[in-house]
Amino acid sequence: MKLTFALLIIIFLAFSGYHLTFRHFRLPLFARIFYLTGIEFLVLGLLLGPQFLNLVDPETQKGLAPLSALLLGWIGLLFGFQFEIKKLRRFPLEFFLGAVLEGLVTLALVFAGVYLTLVFCCDIPDSFMIVVAITLAAAGGCTAQTGLAFLSPDRIAKRQHTVKLLRFISSVDGLIPLLIFGLCFFYNPSTGSGGSWLGGFWPGILTSLGASFGLLLLFTLFISHRRFQKELILVVIGMTMLTSGLASSLKFSPLLTNFFVGFWLVNLSRDKERIYQILMTVEKPTYLLLLVFLGVCIRFDSISLVLLALVYCLYRTLGKFLSGFLLTRLNPELQKHPAQLGFGLLAQGGLSLAIFLDFQQTFPSRISTFVISFAILAVIYNEFLSHYFLERLFKRGAS
Amino acid sequence: MSRYKQYIPDLKIYGIMLFLLVGFAFWIKIMDMGSHWQQAGLTTFSLGFILLAAYITAQILKIAGLPLISGYIFVGILAGPYITGFLSHDMVARFRLVDDLALSFIALTAGGTLHLQFLRKRGKAIAINILLLTLVVFVVVFFSFFFMVRRLNLMPNLTDPQIMVLACLLGVIAVARSPSSAIAIINECRASGMFTTTVLGVTVAMDVLIIIFFTLAMTVSEIIMGAGTAVDFRLIAGLTLAVAGSLALGIVLGKGISLYIGKVGHDLSLFLLFFAFSVFKACLWFNQFMEAHFAVSLHLEPLLICISAGFTVQNFSKYGYIFMEAMERFALPIFVLFFSIAGASLNLDALLKTWPLAAFLVVIRTLGIFGSTWVAGILNRDSSQHRRIAWMAYITQAGVAIGLAQLAQRRFPELGVYLTTLVLAVITINQVVGPITFKIALKKAGEVEQG
Repeated sequence: MKLTFALLIIIFLAFSGYHLTFRHFRLPLFARIFYLTGIEFLVLGLLLGPQFLNLVDPETQKGLAPLSALLLGWIGLLFGFQFEIKKLRRFPLEFFLGAVLEGLVTLALVFAGVYLTLVFCCDIPDSFMIVVAITLAAAGGCTAQTGLAFLSPDRIAKRQHTVKLLRFISSVDGLIPLLIFGLCFFYNPSTGSGGSWLGGFWPGILTSLGASFGLLLLFTLFISHRRFQKELILVVIGMTMLTSGLASSLKFSPLLTNFFVGFWLVNLSRDKERIYQILMTVEKPTYLLLLVFLGVCIRFDSISLVLLALVYCLYRTLGKFLSGFLLTRLNPELQKHPAQLGFGLLAQGGLSLAIFLDFQQTFPSRISTFVISFAILAVIYNEFLSHYFLERLFKRGAS
Repeated sequence: MSRYKQYIPDLKIYGIMLFLLVGFAFWIKIMDMGSHWQQAGLTTFSLGFILLAAYITAQILKIAGLPLISGYIFVGILAGPYITGFLSHDMVARFRLVDDLALSFIALTAGGTLHLQFLRKRGKAIAINILLLTLVVFVVVFFSFFFMVRRLNLMPNLTDPQIMVLACLLGVIAVARSPSSAIAIINECRASGMFTTTVLGVTVAMDVLIIIFFTLAMTVSEIIMGAGTAVDFRLIAGLTLAVAGSLALGIVLGKGISLYIGKVGHDLSLFLLFFAFSVFKACLWFNQFMEAHFAVSLHLEPLLICISAGFTVQNFSKYGYIFMEAMERFALPIFVLFFSIAGASLNLDALLKTWPLAAFLVVIRTLGIFGSTWVAGILNRDSSQHRRIAWMAYITQAGVAIGLAQLAQRRFPELGVYLTTLVLAVITINQVVGPITFKIALKKAGEVEQG
């Protein structure tokens, strides 16, 4: 009964909140940062979770786990759909290379920083430390477009090329971090005290590739005939469930597996537009449910979380600044853009949060709860910082 | 044979798809599920598997002219705990959440399918059908069962009053229909017309009335068993209040849905899904709350509320079409899951144990239905074709009948094993045969949309 009520409340909040957040509210700017980025749903999740109201207790969280897998799969599919090669090729190649470089540089810097910090400051087993560092670095490498949503049309008009580049980077730069995040699932730290890349790597790769191939073949066969809209809805829901379920059962990422499926579909299916419309129907409720689910997992029980969140935020900010600088200086085609391009890449939204949820569900432990608690706090810092630095970037640009 | 040649390429593709799906299912079953996340993955996978496998199987059976829901049920039976065991009893029980959602959703659709203008035209015919179906089926099942069991001494452990009560309860349960199956088949065939409206009206109304008949039968049974001495009017008053309250609440909620469509409008399908689920769960909570805190047995019926709400939107607002269109969007996955889970829940053990008696009851019930619809057809001056085929539309039985049997089991535990086993066995047969006969009836009535 508790599971049902928790589910009802969460769906209600996500559904009603989606309308408030994305459709009707016109609030002062400060409040809009809070609302438009969906931070309020993290807070709601926290309130519903074991730390406060306990409406969603650990047992209920377990009951909701299949829904989490489905959510992650849905987000993965949506992300995969952003990589339509035909559309990407409309942009200059420098944009794509720049986005990859930006993601990689940030990931490397955050990884190094986080790893060293964890070694010196946290009591985490060595075998798990690398998984934590990869997860945080991968999530740090992703950028959201929420910050850009606050820009006024006249600002966009003045610097439309830069805005175009920022939009492109923030849509695409999660690619490499997500793929690297996938490595965590082959490392499998639970199998031994030291963990091993070699033990699980090749079998893991082969199993995942085999499963992905089978799933892609199945999906392709399903859509080889033109189906009615209601049938296509069934196929998309069914395949996402199947893919997410299989990935979770294989101890692999539903997010990444569905990303591959999405990538395949958007490039090879003639029904891609219809499938995309179906995915978009519940995109925002899905995103808000993700926030609530993450909020439920948070435990704010130590002041060190605030500091660690600051440190993580700092590494990421430095990574973004540096990568922004490098990509505008190294590539002559991008030199017309301001060197402070990284100022516009601080927002950290959907994909990062999905990575956190995936990590938390696959490696459930006290440590993972601790890690995502400070990481989410850092996401909130980033949202506020993002607005400030974006303003600065465009002021400079204007002047 | 040449008619089927055109389908060979499709069948090949469906075959490969099923092979892949079963391969994945087999693989996941032999996997070691250590962590909780993996088990959650198994649940998600199983839902996806059922959805897709049932869809494909239904498409294959459709080529043979069978209704889609037979395919869904068939896959449920195959994947269920009695055949392959891919879905364990535990997992089927876990899917109850989906079941609840689906039932309310189907009830909303049922209400939305009822058009007042058609009902007005066929009101008399519906009333006559209900009256005759209830009386004849009850009487035929009651007497046949009672005399057969006594004559052949099939249940030597039971006394005469106990056999009489068992016969009485079986008779009432035999009257129950399955609106969900009826709606699914009508949707699939996109059927419309006099015959369809009558069948739908009778089936939906029967879903409401059966609760009242059943309560009366329980009261009579208690008197026969010596547990009660007179008709419990308080119980009947409570029941009337619950039915009236549910209908009234449905009207209010229906107005609320109309308001939502008028004022907000977007994401209607999602809103309706949430609505259906909330109504079901809120009713359960409310009923428990009233019983626990005020010792009041006021059982609001979620299905009745949803039927009434759907009916209100369809007939007392200008948004009937939009409402039905939104319902249609998610109807297919919900129907597929609902009937597959229903298939997995069918108790094959019970059927194996009691099949001769169950088969006898099915035949007797069908004869009762045939007789009553034939006479109703004559009284309503229906065409001879409609009179001949009407019985085929009323065979299917499902959840309501099981629910009633379980209620009776609680009240008369000494009869429970016999009752539940027999009812489950009868439902298993009716649920497999009923959709097929109903589809044939719709085709013969000429009310199936062509193309």
